[in-house]
Amino acid sequence: MLHNTISPPLSNDAPVVLEMSHVSKSFGAVTALVDVSVKLRKGEVLALVGDNGAGKSTLIKVLSGYHKPDAGTITSKGRPVRFQSPRDARAEGIETVYQDLALIGDLSIYHNMFIGREYHKRVLGMRMLDNDRMRGMAEEYLSTLGINIPNVNSTVDRLSGGQRQCVAVARSIYSSPSVLILDEPLAALGVRESAHVLGLVQKLRREREVSIILIVHNYSQIFEVCDRINFLHSGEIVLDAATSDITEEELTRTVKSGLGRLLRPEERAVPMAATP
Amino acid sequence: MGIVSNIKNNPGRLMSGNGKRSVGFHTPTTPVEKILALLSRYREASILVVAILLVIYFQIGSDGQFLTSQFLSVVLRDTGRLGLIAIAEVMLMITGEIDLSVSSVFSFAPYAMVLMANSLGVPLVLAAIISLVMGVLVGVLNGVVTVRFRVPSLITTVGTLFLFQGLVVWINDSQPIVAPIQEPFNAFFGQNLFQPNDSLLSWHSVTAFTPFLWTLAAVVIIALVLNRTTFGLHTIATGSNIVGAREIGVRTDRIKIYNFMLAGGLAAFAGIINTVQFSSADPQAGSPFLTLQAIAAAVIGGTSLLGGSGTVVGALIGAFVVATLNNGLVMVGAQATVSDIYLGAAILGAMILNVQVNRLRARRRI
Repeated sequence: MLHNTISPPLSNDAPVVLEMSHVSKSFGAVTALVDVSVKLRKGEVLALVGDNGAGKSTLIKVLSGYHKPDAGTITSKGRPVRFQSPRDARAEGIETVYQDLALIGDLSIYHNMFIGREYHKRVLGMRMLDNDRMRGMAEEYLSTLGINIPNVNSTVDRLSGGQRQCVAVARSIYSSPSVLILDEPLAALGVRESAHVLGLVQKLRREREVSIILIVHNYSQIFEVCDRINFLHSGEIVLDAATSDITEEELTRTVKSGLGRLLRPEERAVPMAATP
Repeated sequence: MGIVSNIKNNPGRLMSGNGKRSVGFHTPTTPVEKILALLSRYREASILVVAILLVIYFQIGSDGQFLTSQFLSVVLRDTGRLGLIAIAEVMLMITGEIDLSVSSVFSFAPYAMVLMANSLGVPLVLAAIISLVMGVLVGVLNGVVTVRFRVPSLITTVGTLFLFQGLVVWINDSQPIVAPIQEPFNAFFGQNLFQPNDSLLSWHSVTAFTPFLWTLAAVVIIALVLNRTTFGLHTIATGSNIVGAREIGVRTDRIKIYNFMLAGGLAAFAGIINTVQFSSADPQAGSPFLTLQAIAAAVIGGTSLLGGSGTVVGALIGAFVVATLNNGLVMVGAQATVSDIYLGAAILGAMILNVQVNRLRARRRI
């Protein structure tokens, strides 16, 4: 393990809301995470970068309760937690927008908004879904967010990629989570929609002090909204830096070099075109 | 119409609240588009049309003999038996699984009930409850093997099909046994007390239709469960996108196991009604053909084999179509064996129509 780690600015002494320490995870012979530790402070936006297959999605799926870690611990708001399923993580205030969006194509938009935390009413003593209430709330909420969805009754499989992404993001922030994990939330979005979601991220942090973990491939977007960057390489965190301590160019070269470490000054001098 | 299917597109809501045309949705205008829109919105619509046409055809072909209480009681009895199993398959098919073992439970559960009543003196009501529980336990076995041991349900349930069919044949050397009669249990669960000179408005007339009425009740309950409860929502989610459902916290394994249990219970219930009706427990009462006909009923009724969507009302109408073909063709003078040819053609036709309508819907965004 290489130690080119830059410490994050110490001025940031906000409490840690979610922490993962020394977590390892393998799938059979494939090692996805090796002794990974990540800290997320209150109101902070943390970018997770790394090549395909570096372990980013596995890392967030451990935090969201989808995967159980082989070793290591997760601490939420100072208490050690052991998530048996994403249900537990959601109950803990950790919401995740997965890369595949986890939307149910055959269900309506409003059912998708509320799945896992449905509203009920009693009909003859039976616990039935309160569809009218969920429909109304979904309609109202989506229009407050300024998300352009034609009709909350239509099934999700009739929406465009961008609309789906908006629904998934809306669902995750609806419950006012304390931690929001976004795995490539901008992948299917146009320029205007990306700006909208990024604006939403900043607004959430400002107004509700939500802590956010963001996986984005466009580095300029990282420098737009993130406070700190963690660089994951072959299942290890090899760089933990504040965005103020690193430039976009340095980050790009570091990831591009494939060395899994921050480049030394003399290496940085090499023009970018020379690196394969 | 709300409870009959899980299709959420209500035509009245295609307009958004402020009267603006919804973006990205094409409002049907021509008659063809309107019919296609109706067919794709209510999957039951096409099978309902088929059912009505068949009734008209057989009513004319049999000189008005089809729509008599005597004949209908036979058709509806078969509809009831098939329908109970078909709705069990609908729920499982929505989760993306299938149960081929239901016919063995259909034989096994009532046989166990009659054995308990005859040799141990257990009251029929109690014996029926115990055998229902046995059916549910077969469902647990199917579910656990499928979900925990990751054996595809197609294979799991072929295994349990032979296992329990073998057991019931082995218990008493393949001998049918006469079922005891204990009123009012028998009158409630299928014994037909109707005599040709009874009044049509009498209790005896109702007993001519008990199997069907039980199925009707089951269809209403399951339709409500599917479309109005969290369990139903999660059942659809499990079959529609199992990874996404897990990611969002749906306990997909449990949902599947519960639906296998439901299938086992419904198959046992259907078997009990069947046995009460004939006052005899036949170890070979349920053949795999019964299961396949029930699956056919579910599929022509509008349930997708790919999971994620299905309708129990459609399955009931599908069961009616299958039962009508089976009985009606004989009635108009065809060979009993011919009905399978029509059934086969009907399944193929319905499937082609289903797939094509969905394709059109996707392309035109009806």
